[in-house]
Amino acid sequence: MARRTFKRTRGGALRVTLYTQEVELLAMTARDMMAIVEAPPDGDVRDRLYPRAYLDPTEETAQGEYDALVHDDLVAARRSALGVIVAGLDGAVANSRGVVEIELLADDETQWLTAVNDARLVIGTALGVTEDADTDYEPGDPRFEYGVLYAWLTQLHFELVSLLLDEIGEAGSDDPPADPNGDTNGDTSGKSGT
Amino acid sequence: MSAPDIQEIVIPDTVEELLGDDDARPDAPWVVLVWNDPVNTFAYVIFVFQKLFGFSREKASRLTNQVHFEGKAVVANGSREKCEADVARLHAYGLWATMQKDD
Repeated sequence: MARRTFKRTRGGALRVTLYTQEVELLAMTARDMMAIVEAPPDGDVRDRLYPRAYLDPTEETAQGEYDALVHDDLVAARRSALGVIVAGLDGAVANSRGVVEIELLADDETQWLTAVNDARLVIGTALGVTEDADTDYEPGDPRFEYGVLYAWLTQLHFELVSLLLDEIGEAGSDDPPADPNGDTNGDTSGKSGT
Repeated sequence: MSAPDIQEIVIPDTVEELLGDDDARPDAPWVVLVWNDPVNTFAYVIFVFQKLFGFSREKASRLTNQVHFEGKAVVANGSREKCEADVARLHAYGLWATMQKDD
């Protein structure tokens, strides 16, 4: 049976199970991302992490007000979320099989969810991923290592999203109850690209 | 409280003048758009729509499919202030969201 990285405990916490190599990779990625979310390089990565609220160039005043209101909080939230990952992993001790288990409370699982995705946004954008191409670059390609990291983060994130999607269920708060026999017509596969 | 001096009352030429700048009207129609991007997964976008807006799986899935296949979808509407708050929440989840007047 395949190992599950994320599992809900009876007490309601989210148990994360990682190999020590994965712990090191994730902690290193989170530390790297701390600096990038604070001061991303100009260009695609910055535009993707902090997109404009207004596309309309005549809304420059409103855009400036939006940035003044939101940007610093968004940076702080991203750094805080990455910090939750780093703190959780730093305190973890591997068992004799080289496996680390940590338990996240409700707020922390949202931090993991968004922080891992932020790392995917940065790396995926820097790699120039598209919906049709995977990130299996040839060894020797300068993108090889980040391609592997991106694929692993995508798998990790998808496992967490799948569990949270199961838990949030089908019903909505502002819609009539869905037909239980109806086709939800949703593609919830792990394929990237919305 | 005394009645206002009738001489001080200026009748606006139009309702628009009374309401002032279109953008300042609290009920001015704005829409929030989410755009297709190659990084966010279907499953994640569906989850974010359900979590932030309380949509059913069916509605969240339909909108996510629309984002993917048509390039964008309107996911919320309302006043400028409400839409800015919705855009900020979507940005915090890493979705590519923008807002514009509902023309």
